[in-house]
Amino acid sequence: MRNIAIIAKNTLKEVIRDKILYSILGFALLFILSTLFLGSISLGEDLKVIRDLGLAGIYIFSLIIAIFMGTSLIYKEIDKRTLFITLSKPVSRSEFIIGKFFGLFVGLIITVLLMSIIYFLIVAFKGGVFDWRGLISISLSLIEIAIFISLSILFSTFSKPLASTIYSVLILYIGHSLNMVMSHFEKSGGISLYAVKFVYYIFPNLEKFNLRNLVIYDAAISGVEITLSVLYGVIYCIVLLLLAIWSLRKQEL
Amino acid sequence: MIRVEKISKSFYGQKIVSNLTLSIKKGEVFGFLGPNGAGKTTTIKMLVGLNLPDSGSILVDDNSPTQKNTRSKIGFMPENPYFYDHLTGIELLKFCNDLSVGKHKTDLKFLESTLKQVGLENAGRKMIREYSKGMKQRLGLAQAIIHDPDYIFLDEPLDGLDPIGRLEIKEIVKVLKGRGKTVFFNSHILSDVEEICDEIGIINNGRLMYMGEVDKFRGNKTLEEAFVEAIRKGEK
Repeated sequence: MRNIAIIAKNTLKEVIRDKILYSILGFALLFILSTLFLGSISLGEDLKVIRDLGLAGIYIFSLIIAIFMGTSLIYKEIDKRTLFITLSKPVSRSEFIIGKFFGLFVGLIITVLLMSIIYFLIVAFKGGVFDWRGLISISLSLIEIAIFISLSILFSTFSKPLASTIYSVLILYIGHSLNMVMSHFEKSGGISLYAVKFVYYIFPNLEKFNLRNLVIYDAAISGVEITLSVLYGVIYCIVLLLLAIWSLRKQEL
Repeated sequence: MIRVEKISKSFYGQKIVSNLTLSIKKGEVFGFLGPNGAGKTTTIKMLVGLNLPDSGSILVDDNSPTQKNTRSKIGFMPENPYFYDHLTGIELLKFCNDLSVGKHKTDLKFLESTLKQVGLENAGRKMIREYSKGMKQRLGLAQAIIHDPDYIFLDEPLDGLDPIGRLEIKEIVKVLKGRGKTVFFNSHILSDVEEICDEIGIINNGRLMYMGEVDKFRGNKTLEEAFVEAIRKGEK
């Protein structure tokens, strides 16, 4: 645990000292602030527009940071050989991967927190109340971010950042389309249904972490479903990190 | 003691190290020599537990270097060391010491004294990305000895250093030897090896050609002459 914490702390330093993070974060904060203007030109739906774009903005920009930083996290260590320094110390490869994951995840939590503060201030200013439902939605999207960090770390153990980014974006697209594709094939049936079912169970079902529409339209949110989604996300992360550890162990340094 | 028994290692079907056996006594400075691509770096990586041999065994202090306990007794300086550019020299040393067993308290004075030992006392708060090659070599040595390991593995530690830097590093190696540490190092600079090593091992094309005392190997020639002759003879 001690080694994981030390590596996580070092990774967090790496994340918060990266100038690119501030460029993306600055752009994200500008986007969230711009929802004030976009809301004001929406003919009485200003709060809905602010919540819709605000939550989407927080999600998209945190995902960009997760993929951008995650895909180079281990690759950079192997390519620049900085991991020789770390792994020649009494540190196991599993501690290294888990430490890297937590370092980046905590970095992402901090950036999401900064974006969320601006968002909640705007919503409170326009609606006069604290957006509790928005908070649940943002918290759940953090689980999706954790999955993408794990996924990017796994890819970065064996592929270059550009290739890892492409794989991650493809999985993002597939993960959000699974429910739709599944319901289509369930109606048509046939042998292709089995292939779709295989894909459905292998790829992460990212719609489980998407509460944004329910929040915007004030629909009911089920506590049980949220708990199951969190569990699903945590298990998925653990599996991906185990694969990343296995992949790093197989690497000849 | 470091015992290497018949280790072999291949990459992509090409044998890099073949049936290598070494035995290095505790408290000895051992120079591992060989031309480029002879298998020196591959061997040192296996000795510190970064890579596993395909066959054979390695024991450092009677234990495998892949065990965490063994690695707490090992200090390793890679060739042309790369560091985390986002850290300062002091921060890197703290990180390295924290990861090791932590025999020492990581207070600022202790970190600064280690930096002073390698001649970086004025660069501790500088970002590593601003370091010159020679400064990085020194920092590489500092991170290898920060936790006071018993076995120190140095891969080309004198590379990129000016004559003063080389002299200082050699002095440090002598001090480490005086404190009973075992030092294993790869080097191309044979005059330095001649000066500080008790024993040498010569490897070519992954095979050990000689292991023993420096004087016995060179006879009445310089180490460089004897080395070149041995390599050429081996290639015929």
